[in-house]
Amino acid sequence: MSTLHSKAAHEFLKDVDKTTWHDATFWSVRTKRDIMAQGLPEWESLREHASDIKKHTITHLADYLEMFSDHLERNGVIVHWAKDAQEFNEIVFGILETHKVEKMVKSKSMLTEECGMNAYLMERGIDVVETDLGERIIQLLGQKPSHIVMPAIHLKREEVGRMFEEKGISKEIGNYDPTYLTRCARQHLRNQFMEAGAGLTGANFGVAKTGDVVVCTNEGNADMSTSMPKLHIVAMGIEKLVPDYESLAVFQRLLCRCGTGQPTTTYTSHFRKARPGAEMHVVLVDNGRSDILGNPDHWQTLKCMRCGACMNTCPVYRRSGGYSYTYFIPGPIGVNLGMLRNPVQYSDNVSACSLCLSCDNVCPSKVDPGSQIYVWRQQLDSLGKADPMKKFMSKGMTTLFDNPTLYNTALKFAPLANDVPECMTHFSRLNPWSIGHDKPHFAGESFHEMWKKGEVK
Amino acid sequence: MRKEDLLDKLRANTREQYDMPDMHIDGIKYPDTVQQFMDMTKSVGGNVMMVKKTDDLNMIIRNLYSEAKVFASNLPFINIAQRNPDTVAEAQDLNGTDVGIIQGSVGVAENGCIWVPQTMKEKAICFISEYLVILLDKGDIVDNMHEAYSRIEMTDYGFGTFISGPSKTADIEQALVMGAQAARGVTVLILE
Repeated sequence: MSTLHSKAAHEFLKDVDKTTWHDATFWSVRTKRDIMAQGLPEWESLREHASDIKKHTITHLADYLEMFSDHLERNGVIVHWAKDAQEFNEIVFGILETHKVEKMVKSKSMLTEECGMNAYLMERGIDVVETDLGERIIQLLGQKPSHIVMPAIHLKREEVGRMFEEKGISKEIGNYDPTYLTRCARQHLRNQFMEAGAGLTGANFGVAKTGDVVVCTNEGNADMSTSMPKLHIVAMGIEKLVPDYESLAVFQRLLCRCGTGQPTTTYTSHFRKARPGAEMHVVLVDNGRSDILGNPDHWQTLKCMRCGACMNTCPVYRRSGGYSYTYFIPGPIGVNLGMLRNPVQYSDNVSACSLCLSCDNVCPSKVDPGSQIYVWRQQLDSLGKADPMKKFMSKGMTTLFDNPTLYNTALKFAPLANDVPECMTHFSRLNPWSIGHDKPHFAGESFHEMWKKGEVK
Repeated sequence: MRKEDLLDKLRANTREQYDMPDMHIDGIKYPDTVQQFMDMTKSVGGNVMMVKKTDDLNMIIRNLYSEAKVFASNLPFINIAQRNPDTVAEAQDLNGTDVGIIQGSVGVAENGCIWVPQTMKEKAICFISEYLVILLDKGDIVDNMHEAYSRIEMTDYGFGTFISGPSKTADIEQALVMGAQAARGVTVLILE
């Protein structure tokens, strides 16, 4: 009966203090987002525009990709096209090999996570260094991100501090002050930036009419990664395009307000050309996105700009943590992206939703991740992934509700169940509904009977 | 993969096509745009000062960063700089800069962003300096990003960035720390 998500969540919830902290932390981010939203009278107009601009761009994607790549090439940028994760990894490794790169610094990119790029490159001898502080912490711990914007949010300062001591990044033993630890990481990463032969960034947006690659960070690590090395590689999903600057303004205003509740990221950097004496490559990656476009129920998932607002607001995410999900992107949008990647493999996550639809209400580009999860649930049976116990119950209820005589008889005798002691019904293994629930109490007289007797006023 | 194969597949998989929406958006306006810009700069962790165009900028910057030893700039009127991002051999040579002094071209009141187009050979100066001073003309401050994006221009270097305050992170327990990988502090000098 239990899904992999609910089993993992059960483990997560054992640490009450940490769970409470996790829940409260994300709720505070959601609250900050609300303050930002309420500060702009045009907020709902921005969301409507974001959704409409993305719908237009995605349904003219071939044209915009042509325009974008033409501009890049005119500016001397080398453009590559990758069908899937394998091709993407090969292309990046090929570029690095040509330039004899031994160490590459990189800023956060969920696409490289999706493609398993770090492992691929490291197996081939490239030293890949994450430079976003959160990403670097989890890389050094051998972990995966538990949130797409705040990847190390599941860790406490002591865990980070002890690891920094072990790796020689911090010198003052027992000093777990976040400011001190951040300063130590700054020095550690500064050395990496100075030595690296290449810098890789993701892309938050691509502007079709100018050929700008736009990268937003708070730490400035994407800029540090591209200001020293002579080689800049951009990893970019094909759905990241917007038509022009006028459209970009809408997304720039929404992204950070929704993601972290700040009015903007510290840096919104536009890369149009390689810097003097350097080379710039953009790898445009499909990896299933063109199939999503053809999906009549779920194509609008491509509107997502990965701000993470749906996770921050999700009551299930906040109380179960990123690692409880089986797909690498957790939360409402991750449930959807996992199902689009492989519905049989990732169907365990669709139960991680109370259908409260809070995510639909905060999503800046109106992806409606919660409503889409509902649609996925309707498809579970055809995938052979419906819960057998729930199916059995549904069949029983269908019989009961389709047959008035049976229903009325059952209702008449239902109060007898009140006298059955709970110890006879509450075997949690046989009856999982009994966990955390009392046995319902049936009224002596049904509403139906009361109505017939005129007792209902 | 061939580009044409992807484009063909995308065209085949596109079902209904949607038009661009009417792009009229009433972006927020402030009663006092410059004051809002200054408040916002402080709230994102920056310092901000109004100075006269006739003031001695070199003196002002020196006094602001009295302990700084290494200044970098390629602005012709800055004479306290020992390093010039146009003439250093490598970007790495700018490491160890205490204060970088650069020019912004558009300030945005709603979020404290300043558009800094690349006007120097090594843009590293904008990020590698421990502290950053950004000069901005008072007349170049606009209300919101819609106005900013209609104004910004790219130089031949093909790089530009909006900067709003110092580099920051909250990756350890959501505790806000200024000075992650780039500038630890930013002072905006508004010239009037």
